[in-house]
Amino acid sequence: MSIPVAQMVAVTRYVLKQRLARRERYPLVLMLEPLFRCNLSCTGCGKIQYPLSLLKKNLSVEDCVRASDECGAPVVSIAGGEPLMHPQIADIARELVARKRFVYLCTNALLLERKLDAFQPSKYLSFSVHMDGPRTEHDLAVSRDGVYDVAVSAIRAALKRGFRVTTNTTLFEGSDPQRMRAFFDQMMELGVEGMMISPGYSYEKAPDQEHFLRRERSHRLFSRMLEEPGKGWRFNQSPLFLQFLMGKRDFECTPWGNPTYNLFGWQRPCYLLQDGYAKTFRELMEETDWSRYGRKSGNPRCQDCMVHCGFEPSAVRAAFDSPRAMGATVAAMVTGRL
Amino acid sequence: MSDARLAELVERAFDYRGYVTVRRTDGSELVGFVYDRGAAHIVLFDETATHRVRVELAEVADIAFTGEDAARKSQEIWERRKGTLEPRDTPAWGDWQDAGPVLLVVGLEIELRSVGHALGASRRGNRLRGRMGGADAVALAIGLRGGARRAVIEERPRLVVSCGFSGALDDAAAPGDLVLGASVRDENGDRIVPPLPLLRAAAAALPGVRQGELLCTTSVATTAEAKRALARPGALALDMESYPVAHAAAELGVPWLALRAIVDPLASSLPPFTREEHSSYLWPALRYALSGPGAAMELVRLGVWARKAGGALEGALRRLAPVLGAVEAHP
Repeated sequence: MSIPVAQMVAVTRYVLKQRLARRERYPLVLMLEPLFRCNLSCTGCGKIQYPLSLLKKNLSVEDCVRASDECGAPVVSIAGGEPLMHPQIADIARELVARKRFVYLCTNALLLERKLDAFQPSKYLSFSVHMDGPRTEHDLAVSRDGVYDVAVSAIRAALKRGFRVTTNTTLFEGSDPQRMRAFFDQMMELGVEGMMISPGYSYEKAPDQEHFLRRERSHRLFSRMLEEPGKGWRFNQSPLFLQFLMGKRDFECTPWGNPTYNLFGWQRPCYLLQDGYAKTFRELMEETDWSRYGRKSGNPRCQDCMVHCGFEPSAVRAAFDSPRAMGATVAAMVTGRL
Repeated sequence: MSDARLAELVERAFDYRGYVTVRRTDGSELVGFVYDRGAAHIVLFDETATHRVRVELAEVADIAFTGEDAARKSQEIWERRKGTLEPRDTPAWGDWQDAGPVLLVVGLEIELRSVGHALGASRRGNRLRGRMGGADAVALAIGLRGGARRAVIEERPRLVVSCGFSGALDDAAAPGDLVLGASVRDENGDRIVPPLPLLRAAAAALPGVRQGELLCTTSVATTAEAKRALARPGALALDMESYPVAHAAAELGVPWLALRAIVDPLASSLPPFTREEHSSYLWPALRYALSGPGAAMELVRLGVWARKAGGALEGALRRLAPVLGAVEAHP
């Protein structure tokens, strides 16, 4: 496992503080979407279908910092849209890093090499490069030829300049476990710090509705991919979440774990569903009817969802709830076995 | 309209990824994007996506789906190209214009130094890179022989600023005075005007700046007589780059500004060696100083003026940074 020690310590301190304060619901990762426009149109993405005037809008640096302060989560994942198209993305990252937030700047890397000059390497900043598998699968997922090669070149350039680089991989129906295993080997050889994997969510607005994974098929795919982890594979994720993907554990969703802030405000209830917006983080936490979400709620939109933004917080919570789960987490981190 | 029908329309509008037109009971209409709704209201972004408007359902007479549905459009595009990929040479910015840097074009390296101080950036050859108001900035000394068009094509900037030193064409203009080009004119009389909103925003950021015409010549006018011959009502300053820079920017659809700091007053003449471009002015200046005590004094005076102009330019660029950095590229 490859979660940096400093981040683990910060998250542990934060979680213990919340538990001491007997807080029932608290966020772990702020999903910050400073813009909706993107330079790709991936088949499984339902995030960018807006009118032009909304696509042209950017959250200001101040908006982003305010959202992070309001939320208080120790980790900020900057998503979008493509964050590197934001004219002040470097300022946003710098301000969040100055507040000691662990920033994961999610990018398709098309603009990464030419934007590197604007960033400073920091233990708090990681470029989380979107890589949906080997060259053929990735280019198909992003609907553009050559994107895999650009991303690999950008990863190399960022690593050479001392930046932390991770990858994030979304898996869809039809993914070949053996090819994905080879892909994980390739990413490790490239020298990335760690990998993040998740099944895709079946966005209603995504163009391709045929290839989203259903729950049972997700378990089968992830089991075949992760049962015998390759030597040296490092995942920047909770091992319990990976075991959940493999069907070895079951969790209920924690929809407030990764709250989302964007142009419209605080998105209810989570990063994936859009049931409206709250003006403040407090309003989101206190006035959302959380019982309507998660598998047990019977909400059909939640039945096949196994996405990290809902279940990784559950995995972290589980580790703190039970010494046995904490033991399993530590064991997986030490041995690399899941 | 029945409550059930209204509720259905509201849910459809909330789910719709395009603009809707809300007709109010008083007959007025509002076009916007519905992004939230409550039991008794809807919330919209207006068509320019700048204002949020809350409308009580009691005021809603009808909702029409008048804008293009972005989700449906995306679906159609995907179905059309199913199985085929965008080509490898698709621009990295996709359908969006590169929100490129602010490009500051100067003539001489001595001018580049002032720009470098304002950007807090150090020089590499005739170019430096820094940040202005949160945006990337590139400054380039193109020399006296042109190169503005090439610079604009290469950098694909969001905005071009021609800046540097100028000779005064107005008796009231003193060394260190700033002139913002309300227009630039070449020797043939062709005149170009910068985008007015940008000019206004720049003027507001520079209290005391003089606005007027900049006259561009193809050779350096060094004598008071030559300058007087060029002077005309409304023309405040004289330089060699602003017109080519503005012309290239306007032709390529890039917004532009021209900002100059006065070095030599109208009544004064410059030493002859300033007529030619030199990689370094040190030796020509030394040679000129040795030609007599009057020449040395003239050089000292010119140095003081240049220092004033450099300081004024540096300060002005610092004050302008938020305006320049806020200029956005549009698709």
